[in-house]
Amino acid sequence: MKRILIVDDAATVRMFHRTILESAGYTVDEAVNGIEALEKALQSAYDLYMVDINMPKLDGYGFLRELRGHDIPQPPAIMISTEAEASDQSQAYASGANAYLIKPSKPEQLLVHVRLLIGEA
Amino acid sequence: MTPLLEQFLSEARDFLQGIGEKLMQLEKAPADAELMTELFRFVHTLKGNSGLFDFPEMTRVLHAGEDLMDAVRQGRVAYSQELADRLLDAMDFIGMLCDEIELNGAIGSAYAAESARLGASLRQLISVPGTAVEGVPLAVPSSTEQPIPTPAALPPLETLPEVVRMAAFRLAHEGEPLHWLTYTPEEGCFFSGDDPFFQARQTPGVLWGGVVAREAWPKLLEVDAYRCILDFHLLTTASRADLDEYYRYMPEQIRRVAIPALALVQPQGDPNGGPVYEDFVVEALDTLGRGDNGSLAHAARTMLELSNPDLWLASALRWLLLLLELEPDNHAAQGVVIESLRNLETIDWLAVTAMAPSVEDEPCTAAETRMSPVEMSPEEMSPEEQASLAALVATQRAILGLPIEAAWQMGRVRAVISTLSGCLRACQREDEIAGLEAASAAALDDASAAPLLDWLDRHFSTESVAPAPAAPEHKATEAAPVVVLPAEDTKSAGEGEGDVKFGRRAEDAFSGPKSLKVEQAKIDLLMNLIGEIVVAKNALPYLAGRAETVFGVRELSREIKAQYAVINRIAEEMQDAIMQVRMMPVSFVFQRFPRLVRDISRKLGKEVKLVLEGEETEADKNIIESLGDPLVHIVRNSLDHGFELPEVRRAAGKPSEGTLTIRATQESDRVVIEIQDDGKGIDPEVVKRKAYEKGLIDETTLERLSDQEAVNLVFAAGFSTAEVISDLSGRGVGMDVVRTAIEKVNGAIALDSEKGRGTRIRLSLPLSMAVTNVMIIESDGQIFGLPMDNVVETVRVARTDIRTIKRSMATVLRGRIVPLKSLNKLLGLATPPIANDQDELAVLVVRLGEESVGLLVDDFRETVDIILKPMTGVLAGLGCYSGSALMGDGSVLMVLNVKELM
Repeated sequence: MKRILIVDDAATVRMFHRTILESAGYTVDEAVNGIEALEKALQSAYDLYMVDINMPKLDGYGFLRELRGHDIPQPPAIMISTEAEASDQSQAYASGANAYLIKPSKPEQLLVHVRLLIGEA
Repeated sequence: MTPLLEQFLSEARDFLQGIGEKLMQLEKAPADAELMTELFRFVHTLKGNSGLFDFPEMTRVLHAGEDLMDAVRQGRVAYSQELADRLLDAMDFIGMLCDEIELNGAIGSAYAAESARLGASLRQLISVPGTAVEGVPLAVPSSTEQPIPTPAALPPLETLPEVVRMAAFRLAHEGEPLHWLTYTPEEGCFFSGDDPFFQARQTPGVLWGGVVAREAWPKLLEVDAYRCILDFHLLTTASRADLDEYYRYMPEQIRRVAIPALALVQPQGDPNGGPVYEDFVVEALDTLGRGDNGSLAHAARTMLELSNPDLWLASALRWLLLLLELEPDNHAAQGVVIESLRNLETIDWLAVTAMAPSVEDEPCTAAETRMSPVEMSPEEMSPEEQASLAALVATQRAILGLPIEAAWQMGRVRAVISTLSGCLRACQREDEIAGLEAASAAALDDASAAPLLDWLDRHFSTESVAPAPAAPEHKATEAAPVVVLPAEDTKSAGEGEGDVKFGRRAEDAFSGPKSLKVEQAKIDLLMNLIGEIVVAKNALPYLAGRAETVFGVRELSREIKAQYAVINRIAEEMQDAIMQVRMMPVSFVFQRFPRLVRDISRKLGKEVKLVLEGEETEADKNIIESLGDPLVHIVRNSLDHGFELPEVRRAAGKPSEGTLTIRATQESDRVVIEIQDDGKGIDPEVVKRKAYEKGLIDETTLERLSDQEAVNLVFAAGFSTAEVISDLSGRGVGMDVVRTAIEKVNGAIALDSEKGRGTRIRLSLPLSMAVTNVMIIESDGQIFGLPMDNVVETVRVARTDIRTIKRSMATVLRGRIVPLKSLNKLLGLATPPIANDQDELAVLVVRLGEESVGLLVDDFRETVDIILKPMTGVLAGLGCYSGSALMGDGSVLMVLNVKELM
């Protein structure tokens, strides 16, 4: 069972993504900001991170930079943002994201990316 | 309503609340960058949430708001009152939409115009010359790349009519996806209510369909008509997702293959009908080699006119012409078609594409790369997946080319490696993972991204990968290998920093708020249950009593009583705990005032500063909620009639800005809310005169009334002092409505005012109304309850001490005359009150407003805590009862409403 950590401050978005991912058979964990996400990432292993950009306390970039700075397994990360932040893609990649999706993304599109990144046929 | 929608609405309301608050705060500190960022985040997140649903009216406004706040946050647009006004209007509208969604599950079309208007009004503020901000439209990574031939055998497309294939080929060039769908219904499908023929025919985007028997047909006599042995083959332009959706109840019965457009190119017809023009083939290939499409088309057209249209030759020529038209640069494919004239064999596009590397020297065309063997993927890979894969790979290439970020470079590279290996596994190219791992190890050892980039070049050719729409600006530098920091350095640096920065933070336990949102109904249920426990436990003393008196087991009686003490304690604690859950801070009602005061005072041209104190004071939810409307009314009154216009205030020597203070405090078991203004106060003379004019008081009262009493006349029913009825507070309801509302929840209201100095209104409410302490009395053989709040004292009065004054009874208690009333008479019971042995009557003295009244009853009983259930249904009309409660012995106690009774 592949584990995915959803990092987003909006409960609605978390629920949306959780529903999609769980219906596709993934195990989902949630964090509401970068700090909480980092705690979880350091405590348990995930196969993929889905990270929102704009969050209180520690934003998505900060989370990824800290995460990638740790000597732990480094699973791929999808950064999920809205159009308003679309210009920030390069920053996302520089921070350690491996894919970039605009929300709201279609469930199929999201799953295609998840499948490819996690590596399931 | 789905849980997701519920979640959305609940969160949306929180955000709207937050946005309102932040705007209010910004008003006081318009330059606070942090506030602005917060505000932006709220609007932004709310918009993001709304985008998950199909609420264009809502998203449009929020999007405009988000862009506006983004502009403000970045200093492109200055914050202004105007801006706050419009944003608040917009948020009110969003709130309205939320209500609408909650009610109807959707937004009515009626809101579209308003949504457009509000959106435009917000955008108008952004469009400062030269900095017009449009919603930055950025396409999600999607690609119009054509599907890729699969290594699996292609379906027998050549059996399809040429016309159909040509039409499909054109559609494919217009960007439509092409799928070959095989639908194999279960043999017993008729019994499960399937209609395979209908199902197949209704498939979206069908271009062609065929039905084939799965096995040889048995002899006619043996055919089982109830067994489905048919396969359906369809060529459709529906996307993979649409097909999956359409066949979602029978996913195991379909097989769909993405069809590359070129696979449709198959000449068909009579191969023997005419000579093979070798000359033509040679000449055509020659022309093709020169890239002279015009001549080639001309030659093909001439040849076509000379040929019988049913011949293979003619068919091949028609395809050639179509290719020249739609893929003029795909010389390879055109060549293949021309070559087919020689052997008149079905073109094996897969074989052809396998040859593709040999023509790599030639300028690569899109079509050729599409045929590149590297791109061969398992049949389950859809065009969408192919596109995403291409984009992902391009992105990883770009990431490897990024400037080095010392602290997290290693992590970033390793994440790229996991991404790539994920991609390989996803396209079932596991055999290549070993290569990737070798390259990764090399990259990590050499501290250079070069091995990885090399590997990428070898395994995912650059050209074949569609330029990822999501790729960052600075393109991957294929040539310049990026130097990665020595692995150990990075590691130690990363660890060191991580420990310093985060080791501590993690321990700080930044856990989110440990609170739950619970539906009101659930708490109400708990409340009812605890109410029942309280009642049930009250049965124990009763049982103990019976054990002793009726059955004579004193020992058991004592044990029951001991157990009762335990249960009683637990029940009380439980009751307290549940009460605590129901407690809400008064800020719940206070929070609407900043906005209300601001809006109204502006409308009236007054300057009013609002001071809120003790917002954290808590009281029962019902109390807090019942406080809302009276408070609004009082505040409106104060703004409307209390505060003077700034010039008047200045003339009176007061600061032009008035101060309205709303203060909440807790005094023993009551919450006290004070609303104080420093306005013009209430003139007792004016009030007296008004009251007299309206016939509320007579002449003698008019002279006798103290100023304090006069001022309190505003609470009298039918009193309104406003000279002009304004649209704000003068709505025909006065302070009497406020008083009634407060008294309904056992509250009290008091007002004192000093002319010229201001007015103070004091509301005192119980902390909780869930449990009522009532006294049980007996009258005419029945028991009734009376709220202890009303009870002043219980006395026994000798019959001889009761006087009859003007035909009503009264007695003197501690030097005061107390009117007496018989409860039986009030309840319409004929029986006279029963006296005790000493001929004394039981008198329950109750408070009735400022007065005390004695109720003649038969006997007093104990006091009990009960959960008062209001009368429902027809009984609700019985005003003399405030409700009922269940007693320990199972009987029902009617609780009297003293005020109504008198």
